[in-house]
Amino acid sequence: MSEDALVLKGIRKAFAGHVAVKDLSLSVPRNSIFGLLGPNGAGKTTTLRMVMNILGTDAGTIEILGQPADHAARDRIGYMPEERGLYPRMVLEEQLVFMAAIKGLSSDEAKKRIGPWLERLGLADWRKRKTNELSKGMQQKAQFVATVLHQPDVLIVDEPMSGLDPVGMDVMRETLIDLRRSGATIVLSSHQMQTVERLCDRVALINRGEKILDGAVSEVKASYGKNTVALAFDGDGSFIEGLACVAKASDFGQYLEVRVAEGHDPQELLQQASAKLRLRRFEIVEPSLHDIFVEAVTSHGKEAA
Amino acid sequence: MSSKLWAIVKREYIERVRSKAFVIGTILGPLLMAAMIVVPSIAARSKGKALRLAVVDAKGDLGPAVEAALAEQKTDGRARFQVVPAKEIGATEADFKQAVIEQRLDGYLALPADVVETANASYYGRNVSNFSDLRSIEGTAGGVLVSRRLEAAGLDASRVKSLTRELDMKKIRLSETGEREDRGAAMFLALILLMILYVSILVWGQAVLSSVIEEKTSRVVEVMAAGVPSTTLLLGKLVGVGAAGLTQFLVWAASLFLVSLASAGAISGLALPEITPMMLVSFVVFYLLGYFFYSALYAAIGSAVNTVQEAQGLVFPVMLPLVMSMICWPAVLQAPDGPLAVTTSMIPGMSPLIMFLRIVILQPPMWQILLSMALLVLGILAVVWFAARVYRVGILMYGKKPTFPEILRWVRHS
Repeated sequence: MSEDALVLKGIRKAFAGHVAVKDLSLSVPRNSIFGLLGPNGAGKTTTLRMVMNILGTDAGTIEILGQPADHAARDRIGYMPEERGLYPRMVLEEQLVFMAAIKGLSSDEAKKRIGPWLERLGLADWRKRKTNELSKGMQQKAQFVATVLHQPDVLIVDEPMSGLDPVGMDVMRETLIDLRRSGATIVLSSHQMQTVERLCDRVALINRGEKILDGAVSEVKASYGKNTVALAFDGDGSFIEGLACVAKASDFGQYLEVRVAEGHDPQELLQQASAKLRLRRFEIVEPSLHDIFVEAVTSHGKEAA
Repeated sequence: MSSKLWAIVKREYIERVRSKAFVIGTILGPLLMAAMIVVPSIAARSKGKALRLAVVDAKGDLGPAVEAALAEQKTDGRARFQVVPAKEIGATEADFKQAVIEQRLDGYLALPADVVETANASYYGRNVSNFSDLRSIEGTAGGVLVSRRLEAAGLDASRVKSLTRELDMKKIRLSETGEREDRGAAMFLALILLMILYVSILVWGQAVLSSVIEEKTSRVVEVMAAGVPSTTLLLGKLVGVGAAGLTQFLVWAASLFLVSLASAGAISGLALPEITPMMLVSFVVFYLLGYFFYSALYAAIGSAVNTVQEAQGLVFPVMLPLVMSMICWPAVLQAPDGPLAVTTSMIPGMSPLIMFLRIVILQPPMWQILLSMALLVLGILAVVWFAARVYRVGILMYGKKPTFPEILRWVRHS
């Protein structure tokens, strides 16, 4: 049995005039939560569509659960695309039974499984209602149930949290973690860096169809060094951004996140800041995934230009 | 694999059959058909009350003869005209006009003094749109005039009449199964069946179009495409919607059959044309073949556009053969074995209607029927091949509506 749930080797896709995915290789270890990141138009959706054979590849190979990707292997994947879609006039239960049948699950078995899932996501009262009567958030949850009903070994979810209220987000996060605990592999594509940071074991960052970062979240953070400082203070801190030792300062309202410029020491910042301000907090922190994302994409953009 | 196809077929079928439009259409169709057959025959019988007529004869010698002739005219055994003697109304034309306006008379016929020579007369009435009554008045008065002229020339009017009697030709349709008199009912039936065929192909093709567009708009198509190959999706949709169409079509056909059986008993004088098994079978077969031919094209169009409005421009060229068949049918009716009829009944897009019409009117040679079907099946295979390629690319395309050259490029590259 292969160690990886999903292996992409040198896959490539070009549309009329531009290359959407350039020789991309990725490995998603079994039983992990894998974050697929990238700015809009980076090629994430195209990549996921190639995995699901909604688009054909121009080159490269795809392996699912150690086998070459074919229909049987794809039935083991649950795919929730970024563009949600349910049949508007179908009753929720029939809709779910149908979606499961498309993945090869019998209707008896599907009906058995629907109850607990709707219960868990707070949709139990809506089982016999038409889909177009559901709110957007409920449709989102219904779509998720449709994705997991056939108990996929691999779950590919694109922006699973969007459209959910905080309670819904918590339920979704717990559900994803539970699914992983029960053996599933989850590929998560999202722009919500906090979600990714909390959930994912590994991430890959794609920009302009190329992979520019890949690895365990802790490794990725470590590779960006211990040069980020969280700073909270009383007084006017606007001068900080102009200091020589500061590469970048991001104001988060309650505190300032400062990246120390290369060749400088956080101690310089401490001295210069404490000379003028009354500090409430000075902490050397790991860079946030958000900052890593922005920096990696920006510098890759400069290279490419 | 096949269970997935079955799930799609079932879903499409149930969604169509449950819709209000389907239920209404299925019930309304036969009602309309019944109305088309029954209403004219009822209307023909219920002419209403006899018309109150007077004859104003300026010279005074023709009046009584015309009055007598009018009083004899009957429809369905009842006198059509109630002749009011001129004396009761008055002496001048103004009195008669007043009588018509006051509705004591429905109309009057004014015969001028020189009517025998000039053959010019006038009818005054509140209603002059009742053609069949007016034609009857005209003919009756004309007959009296002709008799007068014949007598003036020294001929015996009744003898001339019997010598110049016109031919009454019965039309008897002869076929392998026997002969039967036909008073235009065969053509009437052929046209009704043709209309049903045309409307069904159009309506259910349109249903495929809007169903494909709806899957695109609701974005459900990506979820579906992740589960099954796009060809399975297309095939399931065509078969499922087609099965719903066939259900409605069979209900219509069955009720048409029942209505014609019932009306055959109820309406005397309307000899029912024979419905042969060949006609019934080809009715269903050509519906199905025609449906698959056009619905595959509709699906291709639906996948390429974003809204039904956008589809209209692309639909027309594709529907052209079907529309052409509707233009050609009168010519085919005149010469069902003529070169136009034979040629058009072989062209895949036109054969569903034209070949069917030929079968109903005059059964063409078997080899022509089989050749026509074989060509149509080949046409369907080509169209489905084309549609599947457009569909695979089109369902994921949003935004700008593609042009025809772009669509052709999809076909080449997929």
